[in-house]
Amino acid sequence: MKLKDIAAAANASMYHRPDFKKIKGAFYPRNEDELAEAVKRAREGEYEITPKGGGSGLSAGCTGGNAERVIVSSLKMDKVLSISLEEGHADVQAGITPVQLNDILATMSMKFLVTPSSRDIATIGGLMGTDGGGNDTWANGTMRDNTLHAKVILYDGTKLKVGWDGVECENEVLEAALNKKGMNLNDLASSHGTIGFVSELRVKIKPLPRKRLLGGLAEYENANVLGEVLTTMIEEKCPITYGEAIVEAHPDVRGDLKPPLLILEFPFDYSCDLREITHFEPLTKTELNRMKEIRLKLPKRNPKDGVQVALFEGYGFHGENLLNMQEGISEINSLLQQHDFVPFAKSGHAPSKWYLGDNHPAYGIVMHSREIRPQNKSGVEIYKTVEALVAKCQELGITPKPEHKWPFADEVKKARLQELRMILGERMNSFIFEPNCASETLASMV
Amino acid sequence: MLEDKCVRCGSCVKFCPMFDAIGEEQYSPRGKIYLLQVMDLIEDDEELAKEFRKVLFECTMCGRCSEICASDVDLLRIWHEQRLKAFETAPDEFEYLESLRNSIANVRNIYGLPMDDRAIYWADEIEQDIPEIEDKIYERGKTADVAVFLGCLMSFRSTQIDVVRTMIQGLERAGINYLVMGAEEFCCGHPLDLMGDEKGAEELREHNKGILKDMGAKKVVTACPGCLYQLKNNHKVEGIEALHHTQLFDRHYESLPTLTLSDDFVYHDPCELHRLCDVKVEPRSLLAKMGVNYRDLEVSCCGGGGLLRMTDPEVSDKIIELRKQKERLANTTVITACPACREQLLNAEIATVDISELLEYNLRTEEENT
Repeated sequence: MKLKDIAAAANASMYHRPDFKKIKGAFYPRNEDELAEAVKRAREGEYEITPKGGGSGLSAGCTGGNAERVIVSSLKMDKVLSISLEEGHADVQAGITPVQLNDILATMSMKFLVTPSSRDIATIGGLMGTDGGGNDTWANGTMRDNTLHAKVILYDGTKLKVGWDGVECENEVLEAALNKKGMNLNDLASSHGTIGFVSELRVKIKPLPRKRLLGGLAEYENANVLGEVLTTMIEEKCPITYGEAIVEAHPDVRGDLKPPLLILEFPFDYSCDLREITHFEPLTKTELNRMKEIRLKLPKRNPKDGVQVALFEGYGFHGENLLNMQEGISEINSLLQQHDFVPFAKSGHAPSKWYLGDNHPAYGIVMHSREIRPQNKSGVEIYKTVEALVAKCQELGITPKPEHKWPFADEVKKARLQELRMILGERMNSFIFEPNCASETLASMV
Repeated sequence: MLEDKCVRCGSCVKFCPMFDAIGEEQYSPRGKIYLLQVMDLIEDDEELAKEFRKVLFECTMCGRCSEICASDVDLLRIWHEQRLKAFETAPDEFEYLESLRNSIANVRNIYGLPMDDRAIYWADEIEQDIPEIEDKIYERGKTADVAVFLGCLMSFRSTQIDVVRTMIQGLERAGINYLVMGAEEFCCGHPLDLMGDEKGAEELREHNKGILKDMGAKKVVTACPGCLYQLKNNHKVEGIEALHHTQLFDRHYESLPTLTLSDDFVYHDPCELHRLCDVKVEPRSLLAKMGVNYRDLEVSCCGGGGLLRMTDPEVSDKIIELRKQKERLANTTVITACPACREQLLNAEIATVDISELLEYNLRTEEENT
């Protein structure tokens, strides 16, 4: 074992204790040629490849499970290749973060509009792998909605260009086979590196908004009221530009917050219409920025005693269960307490949008949750809580994004990926297709 | 365990100058914390343990990771503790630092030069400008309101003479009653602190505290942020305020003449000054009083901290070279307020001035004009 290989497995999920002996190498290519060389080296060793971006996800997608594998990180592929202001797009290497890209675009009064909370480390290639979004997803869509095409390198070294109209490839036979299957960017979105390594992307960029914006803070009696407000916002397609909910917060981190609450930013000329949907207290620019900062840091904070853990990436409340959010949360909390977890913080982009495995959009709130981890519980015991939560949420109809644990449980998405992998090869991040949602592997890594 | 609080979000990775220069996770704060979190799985492998001990010293100790950590993990404290542990576990792996330790132990400075020379090099150089300087060097029995703590770099390095000269000229102009600690000054202990050698550092501090008390000083002033950190946080001499020279001068001058130089100025915050000592306002306040037009550089390390120049000089050089390119420093003049940053900048052939040099130039020009 080498320190470099072990450290390459660092990631934000609770699945961070793999069998390190199975990691056979780590690569940090800086360009397409170095990437091709890394892929070749893995192939020569007959190892799987685990593509990795910033490692900020909570679903273990970048871990590679416990397969004999090499980890290929995109973190040093962080260059902007070209920018077309006229056509509104930028060509970027996959390892650039939204913050890095937007620092450059800001000098041109432009912006890339996928900014997750982890925007300082999540890579754009990684966001494609999870179809990530942020507080601007409601207004601007997820990563797939902001991508025009992506270049991918396959396990055998073949290069693909995947767009909305299909696939381009030097191998005409392969190109024809993939296009016959109707492969496009929908397939790459949320594929978790199971198709290939995304090396470059052409992403949409837009002018910085010039409208005068206002900030507002809305506090609610309970989560059902919050859910009702979000439902109305969704139905009326309200043009808010920023929406974040803090649903619950432990006294250690609550401060002067009174959750459930919504932090909003919206066009000045929409404020009257918004008041028809929800009450809110106006926020000054400074107050709004403070609230945004609190929200951004909340999922990373710790209790005074003990440590926090994320059992799930996000609970997807939408449709009917958005109106019964409080009941859903109460049941989740009750189950957590039965398993000796203390609910710590719940927050999320709201209203938001995500895609289900059949590529249909869902609208609601992706609620991230953190709990205080009980002492003296083994990883296997903690994973049992995850399984109990999966069952509970399935019972309640609370559905996740495909990558948002329940570990890779979207059977429609998985079936589609497996269909494509029959053509593309099956040596990229295959643990995701292990039986029973890879539960055995995941439980061993907590 | 402190490291258990880290949620491995990765927000520290891209800010880390070591990761920027080398590009592999084991050099990033998250990578190192992760290795600590899984140490129980790997510690039986002696080669890995050895490699980890080495990596702990591949760090500029700039503290930016601690500053941005939303999980409130005291990363700097962890680095200090782990370095001490590494040193105690395998002292033979750190022989390259032994000469530094021996120098400090034997002659109380980092260069291994005779103790008396601490008050000779710079004094000889500035005597022409400040003829009475010999009288302003501390000897037993002499007292003053302000003690000047030069530190090892400024006492021995020829590259620092202009800063020493202008700082002392500044004290003279301001009519401050001061004494330079001179040959009675011991190393502040910062290098030992960075190795985790708390006991060795404490011995040095005890001596310095005794001198400061004997001098009857109410303030101790230094131009070195590393020394300031030690004087302020670890010497803790009752009744004596530790100040950076920019703080002292900023308090003294309510207004200043406008600087007539028209260089393309930028300001580099020394990490230990900005982040560890929380001195951010006064350097900028002085520049504002002089009407200096400048742009702020990213609040990032120059690569000269954490003993990195000893543990991995190539990476140290790479860090400053990367900054030179990214922040377009080739044709600028970097204003800073730290002798270690000055050394790094000069090594990379970047023009640099200490704020005290600008201040003295400014006041002298005004004097000549009137």
